Amino acid sequence: MGAATQIAGKDLKLRVRDRSFFIMGIITPLALAYIFHLVFGNTFTAESLELEVGLVDLDGSEVSQSLGEVLSALEADGTLALSEFDDVAAAEAALEEDGGAFIVLDAGLGEAAVQGRPFTIPVVGDVDSPTSTEIASSIASGFGSAIERTQLSIVTTVGLGETPSPEEVAAWGEEAALRPPAFAFTDVSADTRQLDANTFFAAGMAVFFLFFTVQFGVVGILEEKQSGTLARLLAAPISHTSVVAGKAILSFSLGLISMTVLIVATGLLMDAEWGPPLGVALLVIAGVLAATSIMGVIAATATSADGAANLGAIIAVILGMLGGTFFPIGQGNDFLARLSYLTPHAWFMRGLSDISGGAEWTEALPAVGALLLFTLVFGTVAWVLLQRKLTR
Amino acid sequence: MTTVLAAEDLTKSFGDLIAVNGVSFEIAEGETFGLLGPNGAGKTTSISMVAGLLEPDDGTIHVAGTPIKTNSTDGRSDIGLVPQEIAIYPDLTGAENLRFFGRLYDLPGEKLDKRVEEVLEVIGLAERQDDLVSEFSGGMQRRLNIGIGLLHRPKLLILDEPTVGVDPQSRNAILESVEDLSGEGIAVLYTTHYMEEAERLCDRVAIIDEGVIKAEGTRRELVSLVGERDRIRVNVTGDLVEVARVASELPAVHEASPADSGVEVLANDASSLLPELLSRVSATGATVTGVAVSEPNLEAVFLHLTGKALRD
Repeated sequence: MGAATQIAGKDLKLRVRDRSFFIMGIITPLALAYIFHLVFGNTFTAESLELEVGLVDLDGSEVSQSLGEVLSALEADGTLALSEFDDVAAAEAALEEDGGAFIVLDAGLGEAAVQGRPFTIPVVGDVDSPTSTEIASSIASGFGSAIERTQLSIVTTVGLGETPSPEEVAAWGEEAALRPPAFAFTDVSADTRQLDANTFFAAGMAVFFLFFTVQFGVVGILEEKQSGTLARLLAAPISHTSVVAGKAILSFSLGLISMTVLIVATGLLMDAEWGPPLGVALLVIAGVLAATSIMGVIAATATSADGAANLGAIIAVILGMLGGTFFPIGQGNDFLARLSYLTPHAWFMRGLSDISGGAEWTEALPAVGALLLFTLVFGTVAWVLLQRKLTR
Repeated sequence: MTTVLAAEDLTKSFGDLIAVNGVSFEIAEGETFGLLGPNGAGKTTSISMVAGLLEPDDGTIHVAGTPIKTNSTDGRSDIGLVPQEIAIYPDLTGAENLRFFGRLYDLPGEKLDKRVEEVLEVIGLAERQDDLVSEFSGGMQRRLNIGIGLLHRPKLLILDEPTVGVDPQSRNAILESVEDLSGEGIAVLYTTHYMEEAERLCDRVAIIDEGVIKAEGTRRELVSLVGERDRIRVNVTGDLVEVARVASELPAVHEASPADSGVEVLANDASSLLPELLSRVSATGATVTGVAVSEPNLEAVFLHLTGKALRD
């Protein structure tokens, strides 16, 4: 073990001096994660789902006011941000400034509702706020449907020879409006434990580049072979196992350092929320081991350091894409979702998702187990092949 | 003298290619043994087996009495290897390179520091010990390459073509260092395809070609083995035909013939023949203007044994 740590220590010094580890293991993934955070962070974050919906109530009737009350309730529970305007021009000005969408309740809406006359509820949306516009349309549509159901009730009542008072109509309208709307909000981050955008990109880039980072260790055997220093190591009174173990220790150490720095940095710079430290630590350790094992197989089968680096890059990109480190590839496609679990990346991301949103660290254990299975299979193959490579 | 290395009947094949076929040799303490042969002759394969890097298909290797196997570390501490490539880390300093390899050979802290200083002095890099190796010249890197092999005081030092690609000045420094090693009792296994290096450094030489040792012995033994003779060139003014005739009458002379402005004489032992030869030439009335003696070299021996030049 002493010789293995000597070799790992020497290699760590070399990697620090040639700066390759910093570039591949820290700077590049951090820069890309930050760029993704800047570009996509506001599109997918939970904050962006605080929908901007405006209301222009030109009717002022009890019926129209009932929609305002519903929207206020939705604002109170954090579903949307409500702005009320006195006229359409003011609403359009706000739309121009801030985006979002607004609903117009024209004068006479309440009367039309009572009298059973047709009515329209215009919805105006900003072209850059499709989600807000869609939600506002759904609210308006639901409200209109509720009024129509109320009108049917009124007709039925009138048909029975009773004339409802305006207060009764308003109450029916409000009751109708408070029925379950035509749209439904689902708190995705809570129910399916999906990572928020910042954490997703931080974790995705970290695990994607982890496979490049750990290459510096195991592929180092091929570099030493090419430079002639491997002969010198093998001629020394140390076992072949020490040489392979030294490279594996370096891979593991670099991977661990890279992931730790990225977790801390993305937490500080991008507000990434990785989850309970114990669960994250287990996932990171298992993920680094899995990455080291897979890259070990590549190093054992390649004939040169350049060949191993190229093959490793191809494998890392394919696994990274398939594993959903750039985008959640499996969403909406069962086949791809299943296929993605052939990659350690998918298990790592899933593990983080499982412990997000306040879940216990133990939720990470299935993913940790899967990553350790990758380690066992690929690690065994790599260990045998690399030992054999040294005796050729 | 004590035998340090005993290699017996080493054989190694790579697929259909028999790289080394029944190679045997021994090296004693303080002896420098040369493996002389062209590229691809089997030199590197042979020393790879001796260093424990390659398992022979057949044959045995003992260093200081310990059998050398690829799957065992026994006896490795007695071997110092200087590979043909400059096998050092360019992004470490000279001292860091030495310390790293010293730790692999289990040299403890204080002893290691002292030994590193000693080796740096020997290889002339003490002043540059804290510079990165990437800043060293090629010759300095070669010297460090050798220094690492010497660091743990091996009983057997294997030098695989250590002067390849080295400038003449550094080459001479390396050869001087190797010459000093035999004085320290180290057995040296030296491979080269430079005939001059083998002649200068080696107490005994094995000529290897196509994986087989063609001949082995001291330089003189090898030369006599193939019957090569010394060549004496006598530049004279006078009757060249008469001079050649007189010279050829001497018993040690094999052949004498006029050539340009002198006579070429082939003889068995030029150094003992020379006084009498010059006396006879002068007696003919010719004036001797110059004499050059060239002994047969290993290049000629190699050519004789293999039918091809050493650098083919």
